[in-house]
Amino acid sequence: MSAFTTDDLFKIMRECAGEEEAVDLSSAAADQEFALLGYDSLALMEAISRVERGYGITLPEETLGDALTPAAFVAAVNTAIADRMPAAGAA
Amino acid sequence: MSAERPLPVALLLPGQGSQHPRMAAGLYGYEPVFTASMDEFFDAAGPEGGPLREDWLAERPATELDHVTRSQPLLFAVDLALGRLVLSWGVRPAALLGHSIGELASAVLAGVFDPRDATGLVLDRVGRLAKAPPGGMLAVAASTAEVEPYLSGDVVVGAVNAPRQTILAGPDGPLEKAGRALGEAGFVCRRVPSLSAFHSPMLEPACQGAAERFAAVPKRMPSPPVHSAYTAAPLTRADIDDPSFWARQPVAPVLFWPALEGLLATGDHLLVEVGPGQGLSQVARRHPAVRRGTSTVVSLLPPRPGPPESDRTAVATAATQIRAAGHAITAHADSHGVPTA
Repeated sequence: MSAFTTDDLFKIMRECAGEEEAVDLSSAAADQEFALLGYDSLALMEAISRVERGYGITLPEETLGDALTPAAFVAAVNTAIADRMPAAGAA
Repeated sequence: MSAERPLPVALLLPGQGSQHPRMAAGLYGYEPVFTASMDEFFDAAGPEGGPLREDWLAERPATELDHVTRSQPLLFAVDLALGRLVLSWGVRPAALLGHSIGELASAVLAGVFDPRDATGLVLDRVGRLAKAPPGGMLAVAASTAEVEPYLSGDVVVGAVNAPRQTILAGPDGPLEKAGRALGEAGFVCRRVPSLSAFHSPMLEPACQGAAERFAAVPKRMPSPPVHSAYTAAPLTRADIDDPSFWARQPVAPVLFWPALEGLLATGDHLLVEVGPGQGLSQVARRHPAVRRGTSTVVSLLPPRPGPPESDRTAVATAATQIRAAGHAITAHADSHGVPTA
């Protein structure tokens, strides 16, 4: 099971964009570029910052870029969470 | 695609911040309607026309494109030329909505100003603005209420693009200070490509005298209606006849989101962005009507700068999308960009 899901991401993106009305994005949305979903680099930068703080992770630089898809973003977050796990367990 | 009545078309015309070197240049000498409109503009610009054209087409312009003397006239010309291209397909927009200088291009498309008069007005404006003290603009991922504590006499809200996309404008020093304070408070900020503090009182002195120029040219009621991003309502006779309404546009804040809400409150639309990039398309996609899919967005140009072919492909794709939305599109015999039905 993934620690971070597409739904988690869309919830954060909606908060970043200030969308009061939660309109469900289609399942195909996960594979569309953020730009096509209405999220420019400013909204994406804020989402990255929120996720990094919320999950105590650092996302690789190339995560930023509005050509990115939500699916790729979610995968990057889960990789970063998995990388963090052993260190957390050893501590 | 849709057998019922197609969505009415509304054109969105972007402004400051969307310019980039060679914006839409892939269509120059390729799309006859677009090319004729650009040439008409360069001709109307008189002695300034040559340098404007050279800098527009250059990879490395002599005067950078973010400078007011380049960004404003060229955005005006490119928005107008793209709008005319869409009109040449037989598309009859029900409304126009421009951002910043895009509103002046909208007004020309809707017949408020004669194109040559408007070219003179734009050049007069930038001649004045070039004398204004240097400043800039900062995009903040925050609401107007969230940025309020960081404003000062000099730093103001220059544009409301979306519920949490607010643009600040002001002199470089105070703007940087506000940016730092916002960053420390956890807000994400990014500089907007601009070397002037557009839509701030900093430009007020530079706009003095411009009203007389606007007063001196004939103005007609727009057809179709122009939704103003300065009043967040359709332009009225009183707006159109008031020279200071036009003269003060570089000083007044741009209320793009409220204007978009006003437009979509009149009914669902097929929103077609006619200008460089897809900045207004991205913002429009956040609107609930677009999220629900009752209104849709089409962009005439690619999201990012690219080779000339990408401009051409994007225009052809946009034409296909507009046709698929139920609008008859007439290809001119000499037009490359429109696939024949």
